[in-house]
Amino acid sequence: MAMLLVAGPAVAVVSGAAAPGFTITDTSGQAVRLSDYRGKYVVLEWTNPECPFVRKHYSSGNMQALQKEWGSRDVVWLAINSTNAGHSEFKTPREMSDWVQAQGAAPAATLLDSTSGTGRAYGAKTTPHMFVVDPAGKVVYAGAIDDKRSANPADARTAHNYVRAALTEATSGKPVSVASTTPYGCSIKY
Amino acid sequence: MIRPNPALVAAFRVLVAAAALSLAPGASAGPVKTEHVEAELVAAKTALVPGEPITVALRLAMEKGWHTYWRNPGDSGLPTTLAWKLPAGVEAGSIEWPVPRALPVGPLVNYGYEGEVLHLVELKPQRALTVGSSVVLAARAEWLVCKEVCIPEGADLSLTLPVENAAPLDPRWGAPIAAAQAALPQPLAGWRITAEGSAAAVALKLVPPAGAADPGAIRFFPFAPDRIEPSGPQRVTRDGDAYVLALPVAATLAGPLERIAGVVTAAGGFGAVHAATIDVALAGSVAAGPKAAPAAAPALNLAPAPMAGGDGLTLALAVVSALFGGLILNLMPCVFPVLTLKVLGFATHNDTRPTLRHEAGAFASGVVLTFVALGVALAALRAAGEELGWGFQLQSPAVVSALAILFFVLALNLSGVFEFGQLAPSGVTGWTSKNRTLDAFGSGILAVVVASPCTAPFMGAALGYAMTATTATMLVVFVALGVGMALPYVSLAWFPGWRRRLPRPGPWLERFKQVLAFPMYATVIWLAWVLGAQRDNDALLRLLVVLLCVGFALWAWRIVRTGGARPWGIAGFIALAGAATIAWPLFATEPPAPAKAAGGGAASEDRGWAAFTPATVAALTASGRPVFVDFTAAWCVTCQVNKRLVLNADDVRARFAEKRVALVRADWTRRDPAITQALSALGRNGVPVYVLYRPGKEPLLLPEVLQRSTMHEVLATL
Repeated sequence: MAMLLVAGPAVAVVSGAAAPGFTITDTSGQAVRLSDYRGKYVVLEWTNPECPFVRKHYSSGNMQALQKEWGSRDVVWLAINSTNAGHSEFKTPREMSDWVQAQGAAPAATLLDSTSGTGRAYGAKTTPHMFVVDPAGKVVYAGAIDDKRSANPADARTAHNYVRAALTEATSGKPVSVASTTPYGCSIKY
Repeated sequence: MIRPNPALVAAFRVLVAAAALSLAPGASAGPVKTEHVEAELVAAKTALVPGEPITVALRLAMEKGWHTYWRNPGDSGLPTTLAWKLPAGVEAGSIEWPVPRALPVGPLVNYGYEGEVLHLVELKPQRALTVGSSVVLAARAEWLVCKEVCIPEGADLSLTLPVENAAPLDPRWGAPIAAAQAALPQPLAGWRITAEGSAAAVALKLVPPAGAADPGAIRFFPFAPDRIEPSGPQRVTRDGDAYVLALPVAATLAGPLERIAGVVTAAGGFGAVHAATIDVALAGSVAAGPKAAPAAAPALNLAPAPMAGGDGLTLALAVVSALFGGLILNLMPCVFPVLTLKVLGFATHNDTRPTLRHEAGAFASGVVLTFVALGVALAALRAAGEELGWGFQLQSPAVVSALAILFFVLALNLSGVFEFGQLAPSGVTGWTSKNRTLDAFGSGILAVVVASPCTAPFMGAALGYAMTATTATMLVVFVALGVGMALPYVSLAWFPGWRRRLPRPGPWLERFKQVLAFPMYATVIWLAWVLGAQRDNDALLRLLVVLLCVGFALWAWRIVRTGGARPWGIAGFIALAGAATIAWPLFATEPPAPAKAAGGGAASEDRGWAAFTPATVAALTASGRPVFVDFTAAWCVTCQVNKRLVLNADDVRARFAEKRVALVRADWTRRDPAITQALSALGRNGVPVYVLYRPGKEPLLLPEVLQRSTMHEVLATL
C-alpha cells in the first residue's frame, strides 16, 4: 500500500530545512497554500497588531517599506496571525484587514492561523518572527527582523535589517551570511 | 566692594537649611508607578561611605499576574535593563539577577519574575568623595511587563544618599536586600558537576557530597538563549548517587556548544543553597534539536509538516479517496449486513425501473445529506472551539449506548424476533409502503448512522484534507464520501443487467437474514465493550440489562400484535419503562474522570506501550530512539483489528524490540484535546493514525490498514 511520506518534523524550522506546507484562509476567505508560490521567494511575517514590537515596526513605517520594496521585486510577503481564537488579542478577518489597510501595509495576503497549526509547525515563537523561503521551498533565513531588540520605533530605522540582507543576498545568488538569529518580540498567543 | 545684602544672605541661608532638611537620609524620588509596575531605587544602607561598596536595588513590584524577564527571557520577551547616570566618584557593577522562575505561556516558556523582585547592583563609592556631601544616583530602567499582552515600560529613577563616615542599615530596605543577596544563586560547594552532550540532548550530571539531602525537582536555566530549549522538558534520572538532568538542545542552536552555563534550581535546595550557578565545559558534541522541543502545554509541536492534509493532497485526490473510502465502507462490519439486505431486497421487488430508480435516488440522497450534515456539525463544533475529530460522536458514551440499542433492535429484526410491520400501527406500515421513496431516504440516513462507528481506508486522508479546507471544499469531499457509499446500491437500481444476476428469493433468504443478524450482534458486543472502556463495568451492566428489557418488550409486542393476550403487551410496556429508567444514567450523567486505558492498561497486550503525551514523545525522540505512535480508540474497528492482528503479532513485536523502538499509544476513546491537536498537526482528524519517528530521518505516516509485511518494510528502514 502506498505510504505517505511526510516532510521533516518541524518544531522550530531552522535555516536549511524545508518549509512546511500549509493551507490557511486569508482575511478575504480564500485558502492560501504555500505551494501556490513555489518558484518565488516567500517571506513569512508572524504578526499581532497588539504587540508593541510589531507596532514598533509599523508605526515607524519600517515593515510597510520592506513589504513594498520586495513586493515590487516579485517576493511574496505573507503576514500570518496565529493568535488563538479564545485570546483577548484575537482579530477577526475584518479587523485584521482593516488594520492592514490602516497601516498602509502591503502584504500579498494576510493569513489567519487561528488554530495555530502553522505557527506550531514552524516553531514560531514571537511577533514578529520572520522566515524567508527560497523558490525551491527551503528556508534561507529564520529569526528576528533586525538587530535592535527593543520596542522603540526609532530603533527600527537605525538597526541592521536581517530580512533585507537575506533577501538581497539570496536574490543575487549569494549564500545568506546570517541565516539564523534569535527572534525577539511578544510571545505568540497560542 | 559691595557689601552683601543681609536680607539676601539670610534668605540664602534659609534656603540651604531647607534644602538640607528636605534631603533626609536615603531620599529617593519615590516609587514611579507605571500602568502595571511600581519601580524604585532602594539602598541597603542609609548613606555612602567612601571606599566601602554598598548594595542598591532596582525594585519592581508587578501587578498580580504580570511578569518581567530574567537576563535570558526564554522563548520571548526582553530582559530588564538599567542604565546608570552616576556622578564622578561612584561606579556601578552589573545586575545580580535573582533566581528566575519558568513561566509557561501556552506552548512557550519565559524566564522571569512575578510579584516583587529586587535587582541587586553593587555600587563602589570612591575614597575621594567628600563626607558631608550628597550624591544623586540616577538611572533609566526599562522593562517589558507581560500578562496576556506585553507592554514595554520604563522609568527615570533616582536615589539621593549623603556621604558619611559610617552608615547604618536602612531600616526599611536593609533586611530585604540582605535576604535577596543571600538568595542569589551561588556556586555549589561539595557537588561535582559535569555535562555531556550527545545527539540533541545534554546530560547534566550533579554528584552530591556524602549525606546530601534530596534536592527535589531540579530545573536548569541557561544564561544564553539558543542553547537549551526553554519549553523543553528536563527529565531527572538517578545514576547511582548522581542526579542526571536531560536538557534538550535548542532547535535554533547555531555553531558548536562548548559550555553549559546557567542557574540550577532545586525545590528542596542544594544543602544550604537554594539555587546554584553552573559553568562547565561540555564533553562530547551536540546537534541542534528540532525533535527536542516540546511543550509544557498539551500541544504537539513534534509534528511532521501537515503536507498530507494541507499541501500534498489536492482536491481531486481527496475526492477520489473519499469515493473509494465510501465504497469500501460498504464492506465494513457495521454496514455490510444492513446494506446487503437492502440490496437483496431488490430481488424480492418486481418493481418497474423508474420506481426503483426513484428509491435508489432517495437512498443516495439520504446517505449524502447525512454525511454532509455530520460534516457540517463537526465543522461548526470545531469552529466553536471544540477539539473534535471524525469519530467524535463515538467519544460520547451516550452515543455509544444509543448505537448499541439501535444495532440490537436491528439484529433482533434480522433474527426474526419481530418485524417492523408487526410493530408499527397499520397506518404507518401502509404509509411506508406507499411512500417508498421516503422510506428509502430514511434507510439512507440509517445507513450512515450505522456506518459511523467504522471508518475505512482512504477515508482518513480525505477527511483530514476536508477539515482544513474551505467549507465548500469540505462539502464536496463529504458528498463524494456519500456518493461512494451509495454507489453499489444505486448501480444495482440503474443497471437491470446486474440485478438479474442476483439470486432469486427463496427459503434460503430467511436463513441468510438470520445469519446476518450475528455480525450485528457482534457489533453490539463490541459497542458494549467500548462503553465499558469509556465508563466502567457498572455502565456495561446497565446497558446489557437495557438490551434485555428492550428485547423482551419487542418480543412481547409481537405476540400482542399477532393476536396474543393483552397481558403480554402490558409486560412489554413495563419492560420498556424499566429499560428507560435503567438507561437514563447512561445518557444523563457525565462519566467520572475518563479512564485512559481502553480495555485496561494491565492487559498483557498493552504492556510496553507508554501513554501518549507530547512531552513523552519529545523526550523519547530526544533520546535518539525511534518512536512508534499508535493513535487508536476502542470504538475504532480498524484500529482494534490492526492492533490484534499486526501490532501484537509476535514477529512484529520482536522487530520492535530488536530495533529498540519506543512504543507510544494515544488513546482517543474519550475526548482528549491534546490528542485531537496532535492529529490535526499530522493532517488528520480521525483514527487510526500510525506514525514512526526515525532518528535522523523524516517521520513516516503509515497507511490505515496495517499488514505485517508493511511493518517489516518500515522497520527495516531504521
